[in-house]
Amino acid sequence: MTFSAILGAWIAAFLTLGIFSYLYKDNPFYKIAENVFVGVSAAYVAAISFWTQIYPNLFGRLFPKDGPLSFTGLEFDFNHEFNILYLFPLILGLMMLLSVFQQFNWMARWGIAYTVAIAAGLKAFGYLNSNVLNQVKASSVDLFSGSLPFFSLGGDSVFNNIVLLVGTISSLMYFYFSKEQTGNFGRFTRLGIYFLMVSFGASFGFAVMGRISLLIGRFNDLIDYSSADYNFATFYVLLFIIVVLGFWSFKNREK
Amino acid sequence: MKYLEDIILKLGAVDRRIIFLLIGLAVLIPLLTPISLPVRETPTTVKFYEGIDNIPKNSKVLVSFDYGPSTMPEIHPMNVGVLRHMLRNGHKIYISCLWPDGIYMALDALEEITDEVNPDNQSTFDIKEYEDYVLLGYRPGAEAVIKGLASDLRKVYTVDAKGRFIDDIEMMDEIKNLNDFAYIYSGSAGYPGTFEWVKYGGDPTGVPMSSGTTSVQVNEVIPYVQTGQLIGLLAGMPGAAEYEKLIASPGIAIQGMAAQSFAHIVIVIFIVFGNLAFFIKQRRDRKY
Repeated sequence: MTFSAILGAWIAAFLTLGIFSYLYKDNPFYKIAENVFVGVSAAYVAAISFWTQIYPNLFGRLFPKDGPLSFTGLEFDFNHEFNILYLFPLILGLMMLLSVFQQFNWMARWGIAYTVAIAAGLKAFGYLNSNVLNQVKASSVDLFSGSLPFFSLGGDSVFNNIVLLVGTISSLMYFYFSKEQTGNFGRFTRLGIYFLMVSFGASFGFAVMGRISLLIGRFNDLIDYSSADYNFATFYVLLFIIVVLGFWSFKNREK
Repeated sequence: MKYLEDIILKLGAVDRRIIFLLIGLAVLIPLLTPISLPVRETPTTVKFYEGIDNIPKNSKVLVSFDYGPSTMPEIHPMNVGVLRHMLRNGHKIYISCLWPDGIYMALDALEEITDEVNPDNQSTFDIKEYEDYVLLGYRPGAEAVIKGLASDLRKVYTVDAKGRFIDDIEMMDEIKNLNDFAYIYSGSAGYPGTFEWVKYGGDPTGVPMSSGTTSVQVNEVIPYVQTGQLIGLLAGMPGAAEYEKLIASPGIAIQGMAAQSFAHIVIVIFIVFGNLAFFIKQRRDRKY
């Protein structure tokens, strides 16, 4: 086992157990792990975005080898040709960075406005096509198809199609507020609530399952790091955290 | 009866740290002493398996690593399984990442597979970069990246993850945009991921696609399976375990299912006791 692997294991064990220590209560170990995570994530994303996107795709197109701006001494050879349109993202990006200065922070709005408009335009089409039209089409089921069995647990069936239709309409009707939800209409919308509750229950179940999966992943790593190969990193770090937390709690018992 | 009710009330008001501890033990013990539980394939996983199995042999496929270490236990076994399955069928794999740390997930998965024995021909996969796969790497921009890939891949990827010019890679010669792939797969942990691939990749181009997602996303993604926008779905760790069983490569997902099941039993027990305690307390309050 290399020294870097062992060091990495000790750091990982410390950060994992530091985060877990929040289950006891908010404490300095948790704060350290949280701040390291946020800081490293931000720095990593900034660095990788610059070297994989801005450097080859923006500078590479504005300052190509033997391009019209090569007199500036800046040349980045990425097999691109000069494209003046890329000046706009550069200017908008710089304007967004200027928001750190109080007197220029209005400039950031231009870049933000452009980004928001592009995102809205992109998302509007995507949602309409994939989430609205396709879903409406899929909800238009044949209730009395002779080719389908009446009941099937796993696949398409007449019964499932009826459940789909009733569930969709009753759930949608629950959000129709122009008519008071009383009488038969109220009973129908109440059915919609039950469908929604089943859906929320399924979401909750899946969410729990996801969190347990993550816990399994962390435990697997901690089990690995507790071996002699990693100099029993998990045990020593756990012991250290427990002792320090115990002492810290004792010192702050009045609080 | 009153004695039993008192016990339930006590259990319903147990300190949350005791619950954390019990769930921790329920997860830890099966991991330390592995227990084998049966894994039954669900229709969405079978559909997913068949979707990948039906890609014509030796095709070009795009695999996107849209997750990071935080969701590795759920998505990584899926992606490793998908790579195994695709390599067995002789596909050329093109790897993109919408998440910055996806690139390390991809490297880890490739390293894990390369020395493995392919059960079909009993030789190691021994995969080679630029012959079996190209690691295109990460690009920021989320849906804009997918939209770019759909129109012109070279506008998004000038160089690959190692900084090699895309135009100098022989495997990239016939790849202009997403339409040149036979299949798209995204292992997704959230935004950007499956939703964006469906909306800006699969739907506009018509290239068949499927996905493996975290459990949290399943409820929102599953309608895409019903409409055929996704060919099957791997739903969280259970989906990964089912897929490992289908491709006959048991791995970390199958190992984790016992821990998953025991933790769920503990949670269900506490939910039941919590609800019973609530109703008992409500009844007693009404009485007095």
